[in-house]
Amino acid sequence: MKLSDSEKDGIAILEPKGKIMGGPDATLLHDKLHELIESGKKKVVIDLSKVEWMNSTGLGILISSLTTLRNSQGELKLANVTDKIQSLLTITKLVTVFEAFDSIDDAVKSF
Amino acid sequence: MKKPKITGDCIEIPSVEDFLPDVDDFIEGKLEAYGLNKSDIADIAISVTELVTNGIVHANKLIPEKTVKVVISKKNSAVEIAITDQGDGFDPDAIDNPIEDENLLKEVGRGVFIVKSLMDRVVFDSKPGKGTTVTMTKHF
Repeated sequence: MKLSDSEKDGIAILEPKGKIMGGPDATLLHDKLHELIESGKKKVVIDLSKVEWMNSTGLGILISSLTTLRNSQGELKLANVTDKIQSLLTITKLVTVFEAFDSIDDAVKSF
Repeated sequence: MKKPKITGDCIEIPSVEDFLPDVDDFIEGKLEAYGLNKSDIADIAISVTELVTNGIVHANKLIPEKTVKVVISKKNSAVEIAITDQGDGFDPDAIDNPIEDENLLKEVGRGVFIVKSLMDRVVFDSKPGKGTTVTMTKHF
């Protein structure tokens, strides 16, 4: 997995790319998130358009990100969830936990 | 063993998570050669990485000298994959249900549930002191 980040209207946008399966992937995303929180950025959108698939480790990272941000009075939103990941979110009932939007713009406007 | 070992339809890795991508590359390569579509390949790759992670972390407890072995085969229009660890064995029925409300925000505990959802058949063979072999099948 590769990870890039940007900012739009004061909202941090993280864009993981590839497959999220555990090992170094988890550390990379986790560390980036904590870096953002420490720099005062607590509103985050994760753009999943370029994530081929993820397993339960990836879902765990998303949950960890959500709870870490909420505990810091922040919030996490998802954008461009692919069919494969949407299917996983549905199977695991995590669709009830995450707010997901069809585009980064919509996710940014929702804060 | 210090690095992955590939022999025909089998890959064996030390219990180090950094080798997960090696297993994924091996499995996805085989599945592409079998002619599976991208969605089925993703379902199987997700399931394999779930179970190999369980083998590395929970069964073999990240002890690099212990290995996880993955064997793949194609029978007519079905793919069968067997994943064997060297742990103490476990009871798959003793795992909490991850879709119960009180478990929804837990960061771990979804792997076996996801595998059972994505694959057509999953069989656990676990004996105390003899490790666990999970054999799973997907028709395509």
